Formats: sequence, C-alpha cells, structure tokens
Amino acid sequence: MSISSSAHKPKGAAATASQEGAVIAPITLSERSSTGLALLRILVGYLWFQQLFWKLPPTFAGLYPYVVCESQHAIIPGYGTLLQHTFLAGCSSLSSPAGCTAFVPLAACVLTAELLVSISLLFGLFTRFGALLATVLALQLYVGLAYTEWIWTYGMLVLLALVFVAVPAGRRLGVDLWLAPRLEAAGQRHRLARIASWFV
Amino acid sequence: MHTLRRGLLAGVFASLVLAMFDFVTDGAPGNGFPAVLRWFGISIANPTISRWVGLLLLLVLGGTFGLIFGTLQRGRPVATGRALLTGLALGVLWWLLLEVMQANLTNHAPSLFSLSFGQFLSTFPEASLFGVLLGAIFIQWQGHYASRQPS
Repeated sequence: MSISSSAHKPKGAAATASQEGAVIAPITLSERSSTGLALLRILVGYLWFQQLFWKLPPTFAGLYPYVVCESQHAIIPGYGTLLQHTFLAGCSSLSSPAGCTAFVPLAACVLTAELLVSISLLFGLFTRFGALLATVLALQLYVGLAYTEWIWTYGMLVLLALVFVAVPAGRRLGVDLWLAPRLEAAGQRHRLARIASWFV
Repeated sequence: MHTLRRGLLAGVFASLVLAMFDFVTDGAPGNGFPAVLRWFGISIANPTISRWVGLLLLLVLGGTFGLIFGTLQRGRPVATGRALLTGLALGVLWWLLLEVMQANLTNHAPSLFSLSFGQFLSTFPEASLFGVLLGAIFIQWQGHYASRQPS
C-alpha cells in the first residue's frame, strides 16, 4: 500500500522537481503499518458500533437528552434553533420525547448513519465513505456538545475519522482489499466506478 | 498442510481481534468472556478464572473455524473474493451455531431461533466480522508467502 501523493504525478513533473532540487521522497506504508492501521480502523468502528445500543428503536429515548443538550449548548448560532424546529418540534418535555412529531424518524436516520459508519469501518467496506460520514457525525457532535464535556472529546472523534478519510485503511483486513483493484480497473471505463473508487 | 496451518492461525488471530473488543467494553475488561463459556452451559464461580477460560475457549473456537476454512481451500491458492466469501459464510455459521442455537439451547429459550433486534445487532456483525477477518488474514498471508517463494 502506498499513500504517496507523488505516485500519481506524471514522470515529467517528477523530473522537473528533481532538476529544481525539490525532490520529496514518497511515503510508502509497510505491510505492518497498514495492518496496524487496519486494526485501529476496526477499533474505531467498534467505538461507533458500541454507541448504537443506548439509542435503540422503537423510542430512541437514549438519544433525546443529548439532542436537548445540543440545542442548548451549540457553538454555532442558529444550530440550536434548527434542532428545536426539526428533532424537537412539538416536544413538550425536556426529559422524554413524548409529543415530539419528528424525533423518531430523525433519530432513526441518526442510528442508520451510525450503523453505516460502524459497518463500513469494522468490515473495511467503502472505508473512506464511512470515515467521511463519521467525520460529519462527529463534527455535528462537536458543534452541539463541545462545551458540555472536555473540549477535545468530540474534537478527537473528528480527527480520528479524518485519519481514515486520508489513509485507505480498509485495504488490509477489510473488504476494500477485494474492492479497490476492481473499482480502479472499472474506473478506466465507467465514471461511476471511478467515483466509487474514491471511497475505498 | 500449509493451508491448514495458515487457516488455524488466521482463525486464532481473527478471534483475538474479537477478544480485543472485550477490553474496551463497559465495566471490567474481559466481562464478555464468560458468555463464551455459557454457550456450552459452563459456569465457573471464580470471575478471573472464568474470564481466562472464556478467552481460551474463544481462541480454540477461532482456531477450529480457521481449520475448517483451511480444509475448504484444499491446499490450492485461493482468490481474494472467494476467501472473503468463505470467511463470511463461516462467520454466519459461527453466529447461527454458537450465538443463536447453542445460546438458546443452554438458556432454555422457547425456540432454538428466538432472537430480539438488540441481540441480533449485538451478535451478528461481530460474528460476520470474525468471518471476514478470517478470510482477509488468510489471503494476506497467502500473498505474503507467495511473494517470498523463489521463482
């Protein structure tokens, strides 16, 4: 596995850079490093997987106090109002989702997104897509909850997800091991496959 | 013989990854290992011994499934897709035999296949992951050893 950015540059460009004396050695990950990163990916996937169990259907009640907390402590102006008019629309209590009109379907979307992240990272299946989704979810948590806990708690979650957007960690110990070469080959002919190959 | 050994080791390593999850669980590390014993109706009063024996049994089960995987390859080089699919099938078999049927049998559940959504969600992905890891580790080692063979 190579994560070298210069590996995709044309030879002419490398030669020019060489002449200018600005050669940067490509970074190549060893098999051990790649497998180590894959193990980290599995653990991060498990982190997301474990968090499904306190917000299970049919009520998703575990999620409710956190959404209320986010609506009160959001660091971006207007985000709290957005939550109050979507997740918390029609809610009559701060402690239970009774009366809420849109909480259950939106909470189901959150659970589905988190399930997708955990499946993607655990199985190394379209890992970069899963990591991208994890970044969005973690960013949303950061915006809503950053100042309710240790400031870095959700910040680290964002950074951790970004690592797996940057590094193709699903190509070892994961299904991307099989998917990546196929999508790259198909990407020569089909645009959709080329786009899909960005996410493995 | 090589495929059997590789399968055995891949199974042990895949079950080690599952064991790793028990160190990031709520409560004390290793809390999930006694559940492995309960699949076979075994209960040990001492919690420390129970955890260690549970871990050992998990590794033995992983090795056994790895051996089955190695046997299915019949000593021939296997393609990545086939290895992952065979592994996944064995993971589903692990789930069905151990997490569903065996667990229901020892818990005297009303049906051999009774399962709630929460139980399904907590057991099926992990068992499938074991299978995919088994296939992925096997194929990575196959590639590693093939590249070391003199041409």
